[in-house]
Amino acid sequence: MATTTAAVTLSSDLLSGSLSVTGSSTFMKAGTTADGLNQMRMGRNEIPTGTSFDLLDATASGVDKANKVYIANLSTDNTYYVIVIIDAKVIGRLYGGDWMFLPWNMDDVTHDLEITAYTGTNTIEWVKFHENETLLTQGD
Amino acid sequence: MAITASLSLISGANDLVSDALALVTDASLSKAGTTTALANTTGLARKTTTTTDQYTLLYADEFTADKAHKVYIKNTSTVAAEFFTIHIDDEKLGLMYAGDWCLLPWAATDGVKAAFTVTFAATWATADTAVFDGVTIALGATETTAAMAILVAAAKYPNFTATVGGSVVTFTAKDSNDLSLIEEGAASDDYVITTNGNGTGTVARTVTPSASANDIKITPAQTANTIEFMAFYE
Repeated sequence: MATTTAAVTLSSDLLSGSLSVTGSSTFMKAGTTADGLNQMRMGRNEIPTGTSFDLLDATASGVDKANKVYIANLSTDNTYYVIVIIDAKVIGRLYGGDWMFLPWNMDDVTHDLEITAYTGTNTIEWVKFHENETLLTQGD
Repeated sequence: MAITASLSLISGANDLVSDALALVTDASLSKAGTTTALANTTGLARKTTTTTDQYTLLYADEFTADKAHKVYIKNTSTVAAEFFTIHIDDEKLGLMYAGDWCLLPWAATDGVKAAFTVTFAATWATADTAVFDGVTIALGATETTAAMAILVAAAKYPNFTATVGGSVVTFTAKDSNDLSLIEEGAASDDYVITTNGNGTGTVARTVTPSASANDIKITPAQTANTIEFMAFYE
């Protein structure tokens, strides 16, 4: 079984007592305990301002699966940000230095994961962990 | 102050891919466009569902729109097949199976809260009443219209806030998802006035509501599902 784990720690001195929240999960295919997500894509893109781009296309084979997506904004200027969108619904702003990690069930083939850069050209890094993807045949 | 979000994505050699994958990163969660840490948190909350209905975890109305808010959500279930779906408004984001967690940026785009005015006029007499949102204002003596407006605005309404200006009270809904429209005019069925003399209260809608399109919701696939969640916000 392919084993990939994602662990997070959120720590802060924001409160009078220390805050330390941890989470850890192993990527499994939807609803299973013995079969890990076995496919991955990753990339790095420079996103110019002013245009909404499809970062990841939704596919019929990925609908209602336990896909996971990591996106980091590698911009070093804190005023730079990208807006992350799924099928025209704005999720939020990822500023320079921020990262996000979300489940993505695609819902249907129109639910692409889109991204728009603001302030300047943003550099992002991303990884998608998934199952069930087949390559498009030549010419598609 | 500082808030640090640390992530590690790990897979061994010849596991998912032939080389080991070790992606480790930290982020300091800061206010939009600055290096100043986000100053607020909801604290870690825990909710156990009892139905497969949709639940709202965070209302966008309660947060400033278009900032650098972050939201952490975790499915604490240990039963592999148990999951819930995360939505932003009506948009499905993904499925969270047992043990899964996520960290999202959140735009928290507000809706528009309904507002209307009531303009009081003529003479308000003893025993006159004004009833709205389950609250009854009953006069114990004759009042001027300005005094009547002050009394009305001073009451605590479950679903609206009220402010006064002269003889006019402005009501604003607390929740933009309240899309009910208040009947206008001097004989409103929603703002009900009963007077013994000639006192009047005329309702006029001033702001048409639109629902928040950015609330964070979950829909469990099974009745009992325990969720932990927390927002850091500015």
